[in-house]
Amino acid sequence: MDWTERYRPLHLSDIVGNGAAIRQIADWAREWTKGSRPLILYGKPGTGKTSAAHALARDMQWETIELNASDQRTKSAIERVAGNSSTTASLSGAQRKLIIIDEADNLHGTSDRGGAKAIGDLIRGSFHPIILIANDLFAIPKELKKRCEPVQFKALPARSIVPRLRHICRSEARDCNEEALLAIAESASGDMRAAVNMLYAAAIGSPSLDTRGIATSKKDGRATIFDLVAHLFRARSDEELLRLSYEVADTPDTIIQWVGENTRYILSPTDRNDAYRSISRADEFIGYTFRRQYYTLWRYATALMLIGTARASQGSKLAGRIAPPGRWKVMAGMRRQKAIRTAVLNKFSRRLRMPQQTLRDDFLTPIALMIDACAPSFAREFDLDADELNFFLHDRERSVRITRDSAAVPDLPDTQKSPPSPPEQETISRKKTADSQSTLFDGF
Amino acid sequence: MEESTTIWIEKYRPRTLSDMVGQKDIVSRLQSYLQTKTLPHLLFTGSAGIGKTTAAVALAREFYGDTWQMNFRELNASDERGIDVVRNQIKQFARTTALGGASFKILFLDEADALTPDAQAALRRTMENYAQNCRFILSCNYSSKIIDPIQSRCAIYRFRPLDPEAIAEEIRRIASAEKISVSPDAIDAMVYIAQGDMRKAINALQGAALLSDDISGEMVYAITSNARPDEIAALIDVVLAGDFERAEGVLHELLTGRGIAPNELLTQCYRALVAAPIDRLLKVELISHLGEADFRLSEGATSDIQMEALLARCVLSARMHGALPPGG
Repeated sequence: MDWTERYRPLHLSDIVGNGAAIRQIADWAREWTKGSRPLILYGKPGTGKTSAAHALARDMQWETIELNASDQRTKSAIERVAGNSSTTASLSGAQRKLIIIDEADNLHGTSDRGGAKAIGDLIRGSFHPIILIANDLFAIPKELKKRCEPVQFKALPARSIVPRLRHICRSEARDCNEEALLAIAESASGDMRAAVNMLYAAAIGSPSLDTRGIATSKKDGRATIFDLVAHLFRARSDEELLRLSYEVADTPDTIIQWVGENTRYILSPTDRNDAYRSISRADEFIGYTFRRQYYTLWRYATALMLIGTARASQGSKLAGRIAPPGRWKVMAGMRRQKAIRTAVLNKFSRRLRMPQQTLRDDFLTPIALMIDACAPSFAREFDLDADELNFFLHDRERSVRITRDSAAVPDLPDTQKSPPSPPEQETISRKKTADSQSTLFDGF
Repeated sequence: MEESTTIWIEKYRPRTLSDMVGQKDIVSRLQSYLQTKTLPHLLFTGSAGIGKTTAAVALAREFYGDTWQMNFRELNASDERGIDVVRNQIKQFARTTALGGASFKILFLDEADALTPDAQAALRRTMENYAQNCRFILSCNYSSKIIDPIQSRCAIYRFRPLDPEAIAEEIRRIASAEKISVSPDAIDAMVYIAQGDMRKAINALQGAALLSDDISGEMVYAITSNARPDEIAALIDVVLAGDFERAEGVLHELLTGRGIAPNELLTQCYRALVAAPIDRLLKVELISHLGEADFRLSEGATSDIQMEALLARCVLSARMHGALPPGG
């Protein structure tokens, strides 16, 4: 058995790190009743999400049912496996089952058709506790997410990984050198499973392990792109630069983003212009490469951006941190915005029986005005979450407040069941939020 | 006659790990898996022809001995890259028990970076759930195209391009087995052509062996349609000297006289230029011209015209740069 399985934590108390998350899970399980919200455990790989779910089941003496992406997750498949067990109590009586839906951020478009909806139905009608697991919280369908309680698992610091590795070494009767363990823990960048795998790969067949044995089994991270960028600012031969670029795990379209970002350290306007001239030329070749699927052209992109930037940067110093491309952050934000817009348009076009195009072109502005006038009732009526409400209000604080308040009071006595309300009915809440009116027309 | 129909890259593919030349660190770690009869999931990354498949097959052979073909399966992910291959074929193989007393099977998934992200996501739990029964060896060119959760489940081995000595050693071994003689400059030629890719070197050797039992460097360049490095250097020299007439002469000799394909020529010029000890500003400009010509050729432009235009552009750049009068 390989070590990641052999040393998978059996009990919640064995799990390294993420104390707050573990406590939250334990409390949730202890207080679980029918109708409790399912949990979404999310975070980077190797931080203990799946282990926590299984350890919880063992601690609570619950049976488990697991659904993961290697099973087909169409509506019918989910109902077949979990549907029955979620609504019928198991034969042994009061025994509960923990339903674990792994890789919930990966409900695959066509092969898992209806999967998200089926999981949604499962959650609603379940007599059993459910845990969803995902790497990317944002990739989970919104309809699922809002019915669940998120629990974040953070990357583990190297100092919490080392003791675990030491424990494994002792149990396996291997000599381990502290330096080697630290090297493993650090290059695992927060991923316990990767660390244990590295240890296993390095320790197999040798009774003791030192730093040398680890070199070949390092996690293949982004570490080397930093080397490459750093080398741009040192006097290196061009061949050396290109050789490094082949060792970096990233492809030229990614490398160019890093190179571009770090031209910030080239201070002279002439040099910077020179650097950008070759980067933009390189960018053309990347475009050609993808458009024509002619990968030979990649080499020109690589050579141009590296040699050109290396030449331009010789007078400058790498005076700070090598930064990841700033555009990535912005792009992640944009993807998010787009997802929100799509969700909003979907909701309104279905409710108002109107094509999205028409809605977007002719009705978005009046709707925004109406929503601004009586946000709480709209939020309830259309089941808008804070992000979606903010799409209209452009005032995050207010959106959050409104959705929170309406969640606290689930059913007002006289909520109108009919389409959007006249503003008069909301005068009270209107006054409450009048302070943020200035943002009314932002973005339209 | 039987002999000539065997492809040497298969005939001489190393059967055991200890037969492999190069990748010494990796080989010795893989051998220690043999001693302990244990194996984690592995991820082999690196460019083509540097021993990833060879290592996987040799490992399986030694692991299982006679029953290796029953317990080892090779799948090429670039043939079938969707999620269904994971849910059907891979799972099917992974869940059935190993034969011949082995405690687990090995599935080798070549070009795993061709799997769609969805398929990779499906793969990751299969790897874990059937780990008792089946170990995975994935190979890929770019590990960045393998999703993090899979990387986290594998011991990663980064194969490097083979160094010249490793290639030369293998060439000599095959040559002596085939009873052909290879001159030192022929070995240099094969090393130059291979660029760390053993398959290219062995193919060049087999091609040249069709011509003669006594192989010279000249023959290797001819059979692989490559110019000699010194010819490329000469071409670049006349271009840098700003002499269009002579450059054109050299170009025509290489293209029509020697039958070298234009894109091969561009590849060789690119390699030579990157290493050339010239001013970087000029170098960048010349590489940019090369790329432009390569792009236009790939779009179907006429090679004679494009190659001459390339020379003209490079000559102009060299003259501007060396402060020679553009028109002189």
